[in-house]
Amino acid sequence: MAVAVLFEPVEFVRENFDVLLAGLGRTLGVAAIAIVGAFFIGAVLGAARAHRVPVVSQLAAVYVEVIRNTPILVQIFMLFFALPQVGITLTPFTVAWLSIMVWGGAFNIENFRAGFEAVPYRYREAALALGFGRVKAFLNVTLPIGGRIALPSSINTYIAVLKNTALLYVISYPELTKTAYDINSSTLQTLETFFVLGVVYLALVWTLSALIRLLESHLALPENA
Amino acid sequence: MLFVTLPDWVEPTARYMFEVGLPGTLRIAAFSLVASAVVGVVLGTLLTIRFLPSRALIRLYVEVWRGLPIIVTIFIVFFVFPVAGHQFEFDPFTSATIGLSLWGSAQIAEATRGAVQSIPREQHEASAALGFGWVGRHVFVILPQAFRRLLPPVVSLLVGIIQNTTLASVIGASELLTTGKQQVERITSPPPAGIGEIHAIEIYGAVMVVFFLISFPLTRLAIFLERRLV
Repeated sequence: MAVAVLFEPVEFVRENFDVLLAGLGRTLGVAAIAIVGAFFIGAVLGAARAHRVPVVSQLAAVYVEVIRNTPILVQIFMLFFALPQVGITLTPFTVAWLSIMVWGGAFNIENFRAGFEAVPYRYREAALALGFGRVKAFLNVTLPIGGRIALPSSINTYIAVLKNTALLYVISYPELTKTAYDINSSTLQTLETFFVLGVVYLALVWTLSALIRLLESHLALPENA
Repeated sequence: MLFVTLPDWVEPTARYMFEVGLPGTLRIAAFSLVASAVVGVVLGTLLTIRFLPSRALIRLYVEVWRGLPIIVTIFIVFFVFPVAGHQFEFDPFTSATIGLSLWGSAQIAEATRGAVQSIPREQHEASAALGFGWVGRHVFVILPQAFRRLLPPVVSLLVGIIQNTTLASVIGASELLTTGKQQVERITSPPPAGIGEIHAIEIYGAVMVVFFLISFPLTRLAIFLERRLV
């Protein structure tokens, strides 16, 4: 069957603009919450790992290994389909940001741990000699320098977090992928739907990647430059 | 107490998941790994040639399949490829494997490029002086040395591929998570099919444990190789 395939992505976007925009908004919203959460999880527990805070450090290690070595899709299933068994029913929105935040946090702990551990010991020594307490030395010396070292790899994690929002399709949270999937089901404009979907994701991911390259040269520590 | 009697639903459920689901997972992972490695090494090596059109094309391939969420890639293979014609219509198993291979080969291509470029120029010059052509030079001299550097990222990629085989469940390919989901739904349904009870935590928990048991040694291995070889 030789049918000329019509390909009108611009027309497609115009017709479905509001729905697509709402989907994109949810993708970005959930990603933003998860990224902020993952930043704090990473900074706090990463510091606990780097400074070997007893108990917290070991618990964080277990958390990291469990999350890194199991598929995020199964983690999402656990939160959404399994927890109701013990009476905990979460809304799709809660599962959406929570699951990808927990995932991103685990990867970010490793990023920040490596960053904090890369801060030369003599910097901390100098801070302590100047009379800073342990906490103050961390906040004023280790965090800004280690955070800078950890920034490129943590942005990589944030990009992965953004991409993982697409998995929320499986719990029918109407983010971009689920939205596009539904549009495809009703309009059967398969080519346009997935073309536009792909272009939007690539635009987001490529922008963030370009940002890393920009920051990498900008934030390089003077010593290493 | 050494022997704990398991509830009746466990045995047939576990049997189905291990006899149907797990082999599916391992098959998708194995095919994807081999395809990713072959395509990735070839594209990555070609990426080191200073010929702008080929480099631009391979760059585009790498950036597109690395940039897209894998679930979107799998949807594209499963739903969009058939638009191009009947011969591009693949079953869920093949579609998932192709989707994972596109992603995996992009990762390997990038790693290969770095590994090949890390080999000193003298190696190229020496092998050229010995009379090797471009292909012989790379196959016999450069790539064998680059493989050392390539091994850690390949092991990490294997972990990624194994975990991402679960994405095959969204288009209904039979793998561990799909069979787990089917069993959860079956057990929840009233007799005679099921027992009308929810056992999602046990079943998805078991899926997590299986993936952990496969992935954990591999991530350790990747870290070990990273320290030893790079």
